Amino acid sequence: MGPVLYRADPPEARRLVPLDALDLIFHLPSGQTHLVSEPVPQVLGALAAGPADAAEIVSRLAAAHDFDPAGAEAVIAARLEELEAIGLVWRA
Amino acid sequence: MSDDEQSEEPQAGSTTRRHALMLGAVAATAVVSIRPAMASTVGSVLNCEIPVPDAGRAGNYIAADGSLVPRNTPGAFAPSPRPFTGEQVKAAMDGRSLPGTSPQQSRAYTAYIRRLQIGQSGFTCYSSLLNTRR
Amino acid sequence: MRHQFAVRIGPVGFRIGSAWAGPIQLMRTLYADYPAPADGIADFTVRLEPGRPWRRFLRPAVEIRGDFTLPDAAPLPLAQGLLAAEMGMNLQMALGQRRYLLLHASAVERDGRALLMTGNSGAGKSTLAALLGERGWRFMGDEFALLDPFTGALHAFPRMISLKNQAIAAMEAEAPAVRFGPLMRGTPKGDIRHLRPATAAVAAMEEPARPALILFPRFGFAADERAMAPSEVFVRLTQASTNYVALGAPGFDALAALVRQVPAVAIDYPDTASAVAQVERLWAAAA
Repeated sequence: MGPVLYRADPPEARRLVPLDALDLIFHLPSGQTHLVSEPVPQVLGALAAGPADAAEIVSRLAAAHDFDPAGAEAVIAARLEELEAIGLVWRA
Repeated sequence: MSDDEQSEEPQAGSTTRRHALMLGAVAATAVVSIRPAMASTVGSVLNCEIPVPDAGRAGNYIAADGSLVPRNTPGAFAPSPRPFTGEQVKAAMDGRSLPGTSPQQSRAYTAYIRRLQIGQSGFTCYSSLLNTRR
Repeated sequence: MRHQFAVRIGPVGFRIGSAWAGPIQLMRTLYADYPAPADGIADFTVRLEPGRPWRRFLRPAVEIRGDFTLPDAAPLPLAQGLLAAEMGMNLQMALGQRRYLLLHASAVERDGRALLMTGNSGAGKSTLAALLGERGWRFMGDEFALLDPFTGALHAFPRMISLKNQAIAAMEAEAPAVRFGPLMRGTPKGDIRHLRPATAAVAAMEEPARPALILFPRFGFAADERAMAPSEVFVRLTQASTNYVALGAPGFDALAALVRQVPAVAIDYPDTASAVAQVERLWAAAA
Protein backbone atom coordinates (compact mmCIF):
# COMPACT_ATOMS: atom_id res chain seq x y z
CA MET A 1 0.00 0.00 0.00
CA GLY A 2 1.48 3.39 -0.95
CA PRO A 3 1.64 6.55 1.15
CA VAL A 4 -1.74 7.79 2.40
CA LEU A 5 -3.00 11.00 0.81
CA TYR A 6 -5.10 13.26 3.03
CA ARG A 7 -7.28 16.23 2.31
CA ALA A 8 -9.02 18.83 4.44
CA ASP A 9 -11.79 21.36 4.07
CA PRO A 10 -10.66 24.76 2.73
CA PRO A 11 -9.54 27.25 5.40
CA GLU A 12 -12.88 29.09 5.34
CA ALA A 13 -14.52 25.99 6.83
CA ARG A 14 -12.68 26.61 10.10
CA ARG A 15 -12.37 29.47 12.59
CA LEU A 16 -8.99 29.62 14.29
CA VAL A 17 -8.54 31.61 17.50
CA PRO A 18 -5.13 31.61 19.19
CA LEU A 19 -5.31 31.56 22.99
CA ASP A 20 -2.05 30.74 24.73
CA ALA A 21 0.14 27.76 23.87
CA LEU A 22 -3.05 26.29 22.42
CA ASP A 23 -5.40 27.42 19.67
CA LEU A 24 -9.13 26.95 19.27
CA ILE A 25 -10.55 25.58 16.05
CA PHE A 26 -14.26 25.69 15.31
CA HIS A 27 -15.11 23.39 12.41
CA LEU A 28 -18.20 24.86 10.72
CA PRO A 29 -19.34 21.75 8.82
CA SER A 30 -19.49 19.63 11.99
CA GLY A 31 -20.12 22.35 14.57
CA GLN A 32 -17.35 20.81 16.65
CA THR A 33 -14.76 22.71 18.66
CA HIS A 34 -11.21 21.49 19.17
CA LEU A 35 -8.32 22.74 21.28
CA VAL A 36 -5.08 22.17 19.38
CA SER A 37 -1.34 22.72 19.66
CA GLU A 38 1.38 23.17 17.07
CA PRO A 39 1.78 21.84 14.42
CA VAL A 40 -1.94 21.16 13.88
CA PRO A 41 -2.94 24.59 12.49
CA GLN A 42 0.10 24.54 10.22
CA VAL A 43 -0.73 21.02 8.95
CA LEU A 44 -4.27 22.11 8.13
CA GLY A 45 -2.92 25.22 6.41
CA ALA A 46 -0.52 23.07 4.39
CA LEU A 47 -3.45 21.03 3.04
CA ALA A 48 -4.99 24.17 1.53
CA ALA A 49 -2.75 23.67 -1.50
CA GLY A 50 -4.35 20.28 -2.20
CA PRO A 51 -4.23 16.66 -1.00
CA ALA A 52 -0.89 15.47 0.36
CA ASP A 53 0.74 12.66 2.27
CA ALA A 54 2.88 13.17 5.37
CA ALA A 55 6.13 13.56 3.41
CA GLU A 56 4.63 16.19 1.11
CA ILE A 57 3.21 18.10 4.08
CA VAL A 58 6.67 18.12 5.66
CA SER A 59 8.14 19.71 2.54
CA ARG A 60 5.29 22.25 2.32
CA LEU A 61 5.92 23.19 5.96
CA ALA A 62 9.67 23.43 5.39
CA ALA A 63 9.06 26.16 2.80
CA ALA A 64 7.87 28.56 5.53
CA HIS A 65 9.04 27.12 8.85
CA ASP A 66 12.24 26.01 10.56
CA PHE A 67 12.25 22.63 12.25
CA ASP A 68 14.39 19.54 12.69
CA PRO A 69 13.63 17.30 9.69
CA ALA A 70 14.70 14.12 11.50
CA GLY A 71 11.57 12.19 12.46
CA ALA A 72 9.31 14.99 11.13
CA GLU A 73 7.45 12.68 8.76
CA ALA A 74 6.56 10.27 11.57
CA VAL A 75 5.26 13.12 13.74
CA ILE A 76 3.19 14.59 10.91
CA ALA A 77 1.81 11.13 10.10
CA ALA A 78 0.73 10.74 13.72
CA ARG A 79 -0.98 14.16 13.72
CA LEU A 80 -2.78 13.30 10.48
CA GLU A 81 -4.16 10.13 12.07
CA GLU A 82 -5.37 12.19 15.02
CA LEU A 83 -7.01 14.72 12.72
CA GLU A 84 -8.62 11.94 10.73
CA ALA A 85 -10.10 10.43 13.90
CA ILE A 86 -11.90 13.68 14.68
CA GLY A 87 -13.01 14.44 11.15
CA LEU A 88 -10.81 17.43 10.32
CA VAL A 89 -8.97 15.55 7.56
CA TRP A 90 -9.88 12.46 5.60
CA ARG A 91 -8.24 10.15 3.07
CA ALA A 92 -8.27 11.57 -0.44
CA MET B 1 -17.68 40.42 14.76
CA SER B 2 -14.42 38.74 15.61
CA ASP B 3 -12.70 38.61 12.21
CA ASP B 4 -9.95 40.86 13.43
CA GLU B 5 -9.31 38.53 16.36
CA GLN B 6 -8.95 35.48 14.20
CA SER B 7 -5.70 34.24 12.84
CA GLU B 8 -5.15 33.25 9.29
CA GLU B 9 -3.92 29.68 9.13
CA PRO B 10 -0.28 29.81 8.06
CA GLN B 11 -0.38 28.57 4.47
CA ALA B 12 2.74 26.99 3.04
CA GLY B 13 4.15 29.04 0.20
CA SER B 14 2.74 32.36 1.47
CA THR B 15 4.93 35.26 2.49
CA THR B 16 4.69 34.38 6.18
CA ARG B 17 7.92 35.17 7.94
CA ARG B 18 9.79 31.95 8.72
CA HIS B 19 9.44 30.89 12.30
CA ALA B 20 10.46 27.92 14.32
CA LEU B 21 7.81 25.22 14.41
CA MET B 22 7.48 22.90 17.39
CA LEU B 23 6.55 19.55 15.91
CA GLY B 24 6.32 17.77 19.23
CA ALA B 25 6.59 14.03 19.77
CA VAL B 26 4.88 11.31 17.77
CA ALA B 27 2.98 10.07 20.79
CA ALA B 28 1.98 13.48 22.15
CA THR B 29 -1.70 14.24 21.64
CA ALA B 30 -2.15 17.57 19.88
CA VAL B 31 -5.94 17.75 19.77
CA VAL B 32 -8.54 17.85 22.51
CA SER B 33 -12.10 17.88 21.25
CA ILE B 34 -14.64 19.80 23.27
CA ARG B 35 -17.31 17.36 24.33
CA PRO B 36 -19.51 19.24 26.72
CA ALA B 37 -21.74 16.73 28.40
CA MET B 38 -25.11 18.42 28.54
CA ALA B 39 -26.07 15.86 31.11
CA SER B 40 -23.42 17.09 33.51
CA THR B 41 -25.03 20.45 34.13
CA VAL B 42 -28.56 19.16 33.84
CA GLY B 43 -27.68 16.52 36.41
CA SER B 44 -27.03 19.30 38.87
CA VAL B 45 -30.44 20.78 38.20
CA LEU B 46 -32.54 17.68 38.40
CA ASN B 47 -32.62 14.55 40.53
CA CYS B 48 -33.21 11.37 38.64
CA GLU B 49 -33.69 7.65 38.96
CA ILE B 50 -32.48 4.50 37.27
CA PRO B 51 -34.67 1.42 37.02
CA VAL B 52 -32.97 -1.99 36.96
CA PRO B 53 -33.81 -3.14 34.36
CA ASP B 54 -35.83 -0.60 32.36
CA ALA B 55 -39.58 -1.10 32.17
CA GLY B 56 -39.52 -2.54 28.65
CA ARG B 57 -37.35 -5.43 29.78
CA ALA B 58 -38.88 -5.97 33.18
CA GLY B 59 -39.35 -9.73 32.62
CA ASN B 60 -35.61 -10.38 32.49
CA TYR B 61 -33.12 -11.21 35.20
CA ILE B 62 -29.70 -9.63 35.64
CA ALA B 63 -26.58 -11.75 35.36
CA ALA B 64 -23.44 -11.06 37.41
CA ASP B 65 -21.88 -9.18 34.47
CA GLY B 66 -24.91 -6.90 34.10
CA SER B 67 -26.36 -8.48 30.98
CA LEU B 68 -30.05 -9.38 30.79
CA VAL B 69 -30.90 -13.08 30.83
CA PRO B 70 -34.15 -15.09 30.96
CA ARG B 71 -35.77 -15.38 34.36
CA ASN B 72 -34.55 -18.17 36.61
CA THR B 73 -31.17 -18.38 34.85
CA PRO B 74 -28.85 -19.84 37.51
CA GLY B 75 -26.79 -17.18 39.26
CA ALA B 76 -28.87 -14.30 37.93
CA PHE B 77 -30.77 -11.81 40.09
CA ALA B 78 -34.40 -10.72 39.93
CA PRO B 79 -35.17 -7.16 38.80
CA SER B 80 -35.18 -4.47 41.44
CA PRO B 81 -38.74 -3.75 42.65
CA ARG B 82 -38.12 0.01 42.61
CA PRO B 83 -35.73 2.29 40.76
CA PHE B 84 -32.57 3.60 42.40
CA THR B 85 -31.92 7.32 42.75
CA GLY B 86 -28.89 9.00 41.26
CA GLU B 87 -27.52 9.49 44.79
CA GLN B 88 -27.78 5.76 45.56
CA VAL B 89 -26.07 4.77 42.32
CA LYS B 90 -23.33 7.33 42.91
CA ALA B 91 -22.70 5.80 46.36
CA ALA B 92 -22.61 2.33 44.78
CA MET B 93 -20.00 3.52 42.28
CA ASP B 94 -17.97 4.69 45.27
CA GLY B 95 -18.07 1.22 46.81
CA ARG B 96 -21.20 1.06 48.96
CA SER B 97 -23.90 -1.48 48.11
CA LEU B 98 -27.18 -0.40 46.58
CA PRO B 99 -29.82 -0.28 49.32
CA GLY B 100 -31.70 -3.52 49.96
CA THR B 101 -29.26 -5.68 47.99
CA SER B 102 -26.60 -8.26 48.81
CA PRO B 103 -23.04 -7.41 47.69
CA GLN B 104 -23.22 -9.74 44.65
CA GLN B 105 -26.65 -8.44 43.70
CA SER B 106 -25.40 -4.87 44.00
CA ARG B 107 -22.42 -5.68 41.76
CA ALA B 108 -24.70 -7.23 39.13
CA TYR B 109 -27.04 -4.21 39.22
CA THR B 110 -24.13 -1.80 39.01
CA ALA B 111 -22.70 -3.72 36.06
CA TYR B 112 -26.08 -3.41 34.33
CA ILE B 113 -26.12 0.34 34.96
CA ARG B 114 -22.60 0.79 33.62
CA ARG B 115 -23.68 -0.86 30.35
CA LEU B 116 -26.66 1.44 29.75
CA GLN B 117 -26.92 2.88 26.25
CA ILE B 118 -28.64 5.98 24.87
CA GLY B 119 -32.35 5.30 24.59
CA GLN B 120 -32.49 3.01 27.62
CA SER B 121 -34.31 4.27 30.63
CA GLY B 122 -31.81 5.59 33.16
CA PHE B 123 -29.07 6.41 30.65
CA THR B 124 -29.36 10.19 30.98
CA CYS B 125 -29.37 9.89 34.76
CA TYR B 126 -26.32 7.63 34.76
CA SER B 127 -24.30 9.77 32.34
CA SER B 128 -25.05 12.86 34.45
CA LEU B 129 -23.57 11.03 37.45
CA LEU B 130 -20.38 10.34 35.56
CA ASN B 131 -19.83 14.04 35.02
CA THR B 132 -21.05 15.48 38.28
CA ARG B 133 -18.55 16.03 41.03
CA ARG B 134 -19.48 17.18 44.49
CA MET C 1 -53.93 23.91 34.57
CA ARG C 2 -55.72 24.42 37.84
CA HIS C 3 -53.25 26.95 39.32
CA GLN C 4 -51.07 29.28 37.26
CA PHE C 5 -48.34 31.83 37.75
CA ALA C 6 -46.40 33.86 35.19
CA VAL C 7 -43.15 35.72 35.83
CA ARG C 8 -40.25 37.32 33.98
CA ILE C 9 -36.70 36.79 35.19
CA GLY C 10 -34.16 38.86 33.32
CA PRO C 11 -35.02 38.48 29.62
CA VAL C 12 -36.91 35.19 30.03
CA GLY C 13 -40.65 34.79 30.67
CA PHE C 14 -42.06 31.67 32.36
CA ARG C 15 -45.52 30.28 32.90
CA ILE C 16 -45.84 27.78 35.73
CA GLY C 17 -48.91 25.60 35.96
CA SER C 18 -49.60 23.34 38.91
CA ALA C 19 -52.15 20.75 39.97
CA TRP C 20 -51.64 21.98 43.55
CA ALA C 21 -52.17 25.47 44.98
CA GLY C 22 -49.33 25.42 47.50
CA PRO C 23 -46.30 25.84 45.21
CA ILE C 24 -48.05 28.59 43.21
CA GLN C 25 -48.94 30.53 46.37
CA LEU C 26 -45.32 30.34 47.49
CA MET C 27 -44.09 31.55 44.13
CA ARG C 28 -46.52 34.48 44.14
CA THR C 29 -45.18 35.57 47.51
CA LEU C 30 -41.50 35.19 46.72
CA TYR C 31 -41.69 36.67 43.22
CA ALA C 32 -44.09 39.49 44.17
CA ASP C 33 -41.73 42.26 42.99
CA TYR C 34 -40.99 40.65 39.64
CA PRO C 35 -42.54 41.77 36.34
CA ALA C 36 -44.82 39.67 34.19
CA PRO C 37 -43.53 38.18 30.92
CA ALA C 38 -43.05 40.81 28.20
CA ASP C 39 -46.30 41.25 26.22
CA GLY C 40 -47.73 38.50 28.39
CA ILE C 41 -45.95 35.86 26.31
CA ALA C 42 -43.98 33.20 28.18
CA ASP C 43 -40.83 31.79 26.61
CA PHE C 44 -41.13 28.56 28.58
CA THR C 45 -43.82 26.61 30.38
CA VAL C 46 -43.31 24.46 33.47
CA ARG C 47 -46.02 22.10 34.69
CA LEU C 48 -46.13 20.45 38.10
CA GLU C 49 -48.27 17.33 37.69
CA PRO C 50 -49.13 14.12 39.50
CA GLY C 51 -47.66 11.04 37.76
CA ARG C 52 -50.94 9.19 38.17
CA PRO C 53 -54.30 10.87 38.86
CA TRP C 54 -54.52 9.51 42.42
CA ARG C 55 -51.04 10.87 43.24
CA ARG C 56 -52.58 14.33 43.42
CA PHE C 57 -53.97 13.31 46.82
CA LEU C 58 -52.31 10.07 47.93
CA ARG C 59 -48.67 10.67 49.02
CA PRO C 60 -48.67 13.55 46.54
CA ALA C 61 -45.63 13.47 44.27
CA VAL C 62 -44.78 16.26 41.88
CA GLU C 63 -43.57 15.34 38.40
CA ILE C 64 -41.68 18.14 36.68
CA ARG C 65 -43.02 18.59 33.17
CA GLY C 66 -43.03 21.40 30.66
CA ASP C 67 -41.89 22.39 27.18
CA PHE C 68 -38.72 20.44 27.85
CA THR C 69 -38.55 17.35 30.02
CA LEU C 70 -35.84 14.96 30.98
CA PRO C 71 -36.36 11.22 31.00
CA ASP C 72 -35.53 9.44 34.28
CA ALA C 73 -36.52 12.46 36.36
CA ALA C 74 -37.70 11.42 39.81
CA PRO C 75 -40.78 13.12 41.30
CA LEU C 76 -40.51 15.26 44.43
CA PRO C 77 -42.84 15.22 47.46
CA LEU C 78 -45.39 18.05 47.51
CA ALA C 79 -43.62 19.65 50.48
CA GLN C 80 -40.76 20.35 48.02
CA GLY C 81 -43.09 21.73 45.35
CA LEU C 82 -41.33 25.10 45.30
CA LEU C 83 -38.07 23.28 44.63
CA ALA C 84 -39.78 21.37 41.82
CA ALA C 85 -40.91 24.64 40.21
CA GLU C 86 -37.40 26.10 40.44
CA MET C 87 -35.85 22.90 39.03
CA GLY C 88 -38.42 22.99 36.23
CA MET C 89 -37.39 26.51 35.29
CA ASN C 90 -33.71 25.50 35.37
CA LEU C 91 -34.51 22.58 33.10
CA GLN C 92 -36.31 24.76 30.53
CA MET C 93 -33.31 27.06 30.42
CA ALA C 94 -30.79 24.23 30.29
CA LEU C 95 -32.53 22.46 27.42
CA GLY C 96 -34.33 25.26 25.57
CA GLN C 97 -32.38 28.52 25.81
CA ARG C 98 -31.02 29.54 22.39
CA ARG C 99 -30.86 33.33 22.41
CA TYR C 100 -28.10 33.57 25.03
CA LEU C 101 -25.09 31.38 25.74
CA LEU C 102 -25.79 29.84 29.13
CA LEU C 103 -22.98 29.71 31.64
CA HIS C 104 -23.51 27.65 34.77
CA ALA C 105 -22.19 30.41 36.97
CA SER C 106 -23.24 32.96 39.53
CA ALA C 107 -22.77 36.66 38.78
CA VAL C 108 -22.70 39.98 40.60
CA GLU C 109 -22.21 43.47 39.22
CA ARG C 110 -20.54 46.70 40.27
CA ASP C 111 -20.09 49.86 38.18
CA GLY C 112 -21.48 48.16 35.08
CA ARG C 113 -18.92 45.34 35.25
CA ALA C 114 -19.69 41.73 36.10
CA LEU C 115 -17.93 39.19 38.25
CA LEU C 116 -18.61 35.61 37.20
CA MET C 117 -18.10 32.67 39.56
CA THR C 118 -18.23 29.13 38.28
CA GLY C 119 -17.27 25.67 39.43
CA ASN C 120 -18.61 22.35 40.62
CA SER C 121 -21.63 21.92 42.85
CA GLY C 122 -20.80 22.81 46.41
CA ALA C 123 -17.83 24.97 45.47
CA GLY C 124 -19.57 28.02 46.86
CA LYS C 125 -20.57 30.10 43.86
CA SER C 126 -24.20 30.52 44.96
CA THR C 127 -23.33 31.43 48.54
CA LEU C 128 -20.64 33.88 47.49
CA ALA C 129 -22.97 35.62 45.06
CA ALA C 130 -25.68 35.83 47.73
CA LEU C 131 -23.21 37.25 50.23
CA LEU C 132 -21.74 39.79 47.82
CA GLY C 133 -25.30 40.82 47.01
CA GLU C 134 -25.60 41.93 50.64
CA ARG C 135 -22.22 43.67 50.59
CA GLY C 136 -22.80 46.39 48.01
CA TRP C 137 -22.81 44.33 44.81
CA ARG C 138 -25.83 43.92 42.54
CA PHE C 139 -26.89 40.27 42.45
CA MET C 140 -27.33 39.04 38.86
CA GLY C 141 -27.92 35.33 39.37
CA ASP C 142 -26.73 32.22 41.19
CA GLU C 143 -27.39 29.43 38.66
CA PHE C 144 -27.15 30.82 35.13
CA ALA C 145 -25.41 33.78 33.60
CA LEU C 146 -26.60 34.74 30.11
CA LEU C 147 -23.93 35.82 27.62
CA ASP C 148 -25.24 37.69 24.58
CA PRO C 149 -23.36 36.26 21.57
CA PHE C 150 -23.86 39.47 19.56
CA THR C 151 -22.73 42.04 22.11
CA GLY C 152 -20.64 40.03 24.58
CA ALA C 153 -22.69 41.56 27.41
CA LEU C 154 -23.78 39.53 30.41
CA HIS C 155 -27.49 39.54 31.23
CA ALA C 156 -28.91 38.98 34.69
CA PHE C 157 -31.10 36.03 35.58
CA PRO C 158 -31.83 36.85 39.24
CA ARG C 159 -33.89 33.88 40.39
CA MET C 160 -34.57 32.83 43.96
CA ILE C 161 -31.17 31.96 45.38
CA SER C 162 -30.98 28.29 46.25
CA LEU C 163 -29.10 28.00 49.57
CA LYS C 164 -28.02 24.56 50.68
CA ASN C 165 -27.11 23.15 54.09
CA GLN C 166 -24.58 25.37 55.93
CA ALA C 167 -25.13 28.26 53.55
CA ILE C 168 -28.68 28.63 54.93
CA ALA C 169 -27.57 29.67 58.40
CA ALA C 170 -24.80 31.82 56.99
CA MET C 171 -27.28 33.87 54.93
CA GLU C 172 -29.98 33.92 57.62
CA ALA C 173 -27.48 36.04 59.55
CA GLU C 174 -27.14 38.45 56.61
CA ALA C 175 -30.57 38.97 55.07
CA PRO C 176 -33.97 39.83 56.60
CA ALA C 177 -36.31 36.92 57.36
CA VAL C 178 -39.04 38.20 55.03
CA ARG C 179 -36.89 37.40 52.01
CA PHE C 180 -36.66 33.68 52.76
CA GLY C 181 -38.86 30.86 51.50
CA PRO C 182 -39.68 27.77 53.56
CA LEU C 183 -36.94 25.49 54.84
CA MET C 184 -37.10 22.20 52.95
CA ARG C 185 -35.36 19.30 54.63
CA GLY C 186 -34.30 16.05 53.06
CA THR C 187 -34.33 17.11 49.45
CA PRO C 188 -32.07 15.27 46.97
CA LYS C 189 -29.48 17.99 47.61
CA GLY C 190 -29.86 18.14 51.39
CA ASP C 191 -31.55 21.03 53.20
CA ILE C 192 -32.60 23.87 50.91
CA ARG C 193 -33.97 27.32 51.60
CA HIS C 194 -34.65 29.94 48.94
CA LEU C 195 -33.62 33.57 49.38
CA ARG C 196 -35.21 36.34 47.36
CA PRO C 197 -32.67 38.74 45.79
CA ALA C 198 -32.63 42.33 47.15
CA THR C 199 -35.28 44.66 45.74
CA ALA C 200 -32.65 46.76 43.96
CA ALA C 201 -31.31 43.64 42.21
CA VAL C 202 -34.79 42.74 40.98
CA ALA C 203 -35.44 46.30 39.82
CA ALA C 204 -32.17 46.31 37.85
CA MET C 205 -32.64 42.89 36.26
CA GLU C 206 -32.79 44.24 32.71
CA GLU C 207 -29.43 46.04 32.92
CA PRO C 208 -26.63 44.01 31.35
CA ALA C 209 -23.01 44.28 32.47
CA ARG C 210 -19.61 43.81 30.84
CA PRO C 211 -17.78 40.68 32.14
CA ALA C 212 -14.61 41.81 33.89
CA LEU C 213 -13.40 38.91 36.04
CA ILE C 214 -14.01 35.15 36.17
CA LEU C 215 -13.39 33.26 39.39
CA PHE C 216 -13.29 29.50 40.02
CA PRO C 217 -13.87 29.33 43.76
CA ARG C 218 -13.29 26.26 45.93
CA PHE C 219 -14.67 26.31 49.45
CA GLY C 220 -12.96 24.58 52.36
CA PHE C 221 -9.27 24.91 51.49
CA ALA C 222 -6.45 27.10 52.77
CA ALA C 223 -6.52 30.47 51.02
CA ASP C 224 -4.75 30.29 47.68
CA GLU C 225 -5.08 31.63 44.18
CA ARG C 226 -3.66 31.02 40.74
CA ALA C 227 -4.22 32.65 37.37
CA MET C 228 -5.84 30.37 34.82
CA ALA C 229 -4.79 30.15 31.18
CA PRO C 230 -7.49 31.04 28.63
CA SER C 231 -7.44 27.54 27.12
CA GLU C 232 -8.20 25.99 30.50
CA VAL C 233 -10.96 28.55 31.15
CA PHE C 234 -12.49 27.83 27.75
CA VAL C 235 -12.69 24.09 28.40
CA ARG C 236 -14.10 24.59 31.91
CA LEU C 237 -16.75 27.02 30.63
CA THR C 238 -17.89 24.65 27.87
CA GLN C 239 -18.30 21.97 30.52
CA ALA C 240 -20.42 24.45 32.46
CA SER C 241 -22.64 25.41 29.52
CA THR C 242 -25.66 23.34 28.51
CA ASN C 243 -26.21 25.09 25.19
CA TYR C 244 -22.71 25.79 23.88
CA VAL C 245 -22.96 23.07 21.22
CA ALA C 246 -26.47 24.06 20.18
CA LEU C 247 -25.47 27.69 19.57
CA GLY C 248 -22.82 26.70 17.01
CA ALA C 249 -20.49 29.34 15.59
CA PRO C 250 -21.95 32.34 17.51
CA GLY C 251 -21.45 30.40 20.75
CA PHE C 252 -17.84 29.68 19.81
CA ASP C 253 -17.16 33.31 18.92
CA ALA C 254 -18.74 34.58 22.14
CA LEU C 255 -16.90 32.17 24.42
CA ALA C 256 -13.56 32.58 22.63
CA ALA C 257 -13.86 36.36 22.94
CA LEU C 258 -14.79 36.07 26.63
CA VAL C 259 -11.75 33.98 27.57
CA ARG C 260 -9.42 36.19 25.54
CA GLN C 261 -10.66 39.43 27.08
CA VAL C 262 -11.50 38.53 30.69
CA PRO C 263 -8.91 37.42 33.27
CA ALA C 264 -9.65 34.26 35.28
CA VAL C 265 -8.41 33.19 38.70
CA ALA C 266 -8.92 29.98 40.67
CA ILE C 267 -9.32 30.81 44.35
CA ASP C 268 -9.36 28.48 47.33
CA TYR C 269 -10.89 29.84 50.51
CA PRO C 270 -11.42 28.48 54.02
CA ASP C 271 -14.41 30.67 54.92
CA THR C 272 -16.63 33.29 53.33
CA ALA C 273 -14.97 36.28 55.06
CA SER C 274 -11.68 35.25 53.47
CA ALA C 275 -13.41 34.81 50.11
CA VAL C 276 -14.95 38.27 50.18
CA ALA C 277 -11.53 39.80 50.94
CA GLN C 278 -9.94 37.88 48.06
CA VAL C 279 -12.74 38.92 45.71
CA GLU C 280 -12.38 42.62 46.57
CA ARG C 281 -8.62 42.51 46.11
CA LEU C 282 -8.76 40.64 42.78
CA TRP C 283 -11.55 42.93 41.53
CA ALA C 284 -9.47 46.02 42.28
CA ALA C 285 -6.50 44.44 40.49
CA ALA C 286 -8.63 43.69 37.41
CA ALA C 287 -9.89 47.27 37.11
